[in-house]
Amino acid sequence: MNMGSGPPYKEMTMGEFKGSAKSGDLSVALSNDELHILINLVEQLLELLGERNFVHHYQSNDPFAQLMAASIGNLESAIEQPEDPVLRRLLPNAYADPESAGEFRKYTESSLRMVKQTHLMYLREQLVFPVDHELPKADIAVTDPTQWLIAINDLRLALAVRLDIKQDSYEKYELMKDSDEQKPLFAVYFWLGGIQESLISHI
Amino acid sequence: MEEELDLSKFFDNLWVTIVWDDPVNLMNYVTYVFIKLFNFSKEKAHKLMMQVHTEGKAVVASGTREEMERVVQQLHEHGLWATLQRDDHGRV
Repeated sequence: MNMGSGPPYKEMTMGEFKGSAKSGDLSVALSNDELHILINLVEQLLELLGERNFVHHYQSNDPFAQLMAASIGNLESAIEQPEDPVLRRLLPNAYADPESAGEFRKYTESSLRMVKQTHLMYLREQLVFPVDHELPKADIAVTDPTQWLIAINDLRLALAVRLDIKQDSYEKYELMKDSDEQKPLFAVYFWLGGIQESLISHI
Repeated sequence: MEEELDLSKFFDNLWVTIVWDDPVNLMNYVTYVFIKLFNFSKEKAHKLMMQVHTEGKAVVASGTREEMERVVQQLHEHGLWATLQRDDHGRV
């Protein structure tokens, strides 16, 4: 597990949360750059989760959709684990035994995808640039902190897979040269950790 | 497969949910999820979180197979890495 982040990347703030979830006035100040980064990540992950969309039809109540799903031939067999390592982490096997895992996945993976998509779409809707472009930061109301938390956690999980995050990654990151092209991605990852931590402390 | 299903009905309560450690999930996030999903006290949630952190895994729930499948699904929804298995008396 992660003990929590060290200081954030020097050019980014921690995401300044104000107020509290209990009093219903929780908000976060995000710069335009930070908004751009978050929106980009959310949209990429939504795209990745959107693959294999036909699975949704299979659980649909619409008889035509069910017929279409059946014609794809996915009703009889267990579903394989996704190939993309990010999806493998976000949609993990529920059983060590592959046969039980596939059987469970057949009935649950599409709803798990949908739950994750719902959180990410919610977050995406909240990320609105300020109308006044002169403002240095957008003040965004966090009306549903739980959805924020889960969506940001999924973004961190996804980035961590791509960056091969290990227990000692922060130490490695601190030693990275500024010319290292992966450094900004690591910075975003640790920045998100800071945001998540700050958010939890306001719930 | 038939046989196995009958067995699981017979030993209805012998399923457990295990949460596995990973280097990404924040400690206070995992504690938060345990409180939210299981209604644990802060102390109990923290203790279980620490067990996951130091021992690499912890049993967080036990019950019927169906109950544990639901719990695992909820944990996956929250981004935790969880599996279910037959309870073999602590030897997970």
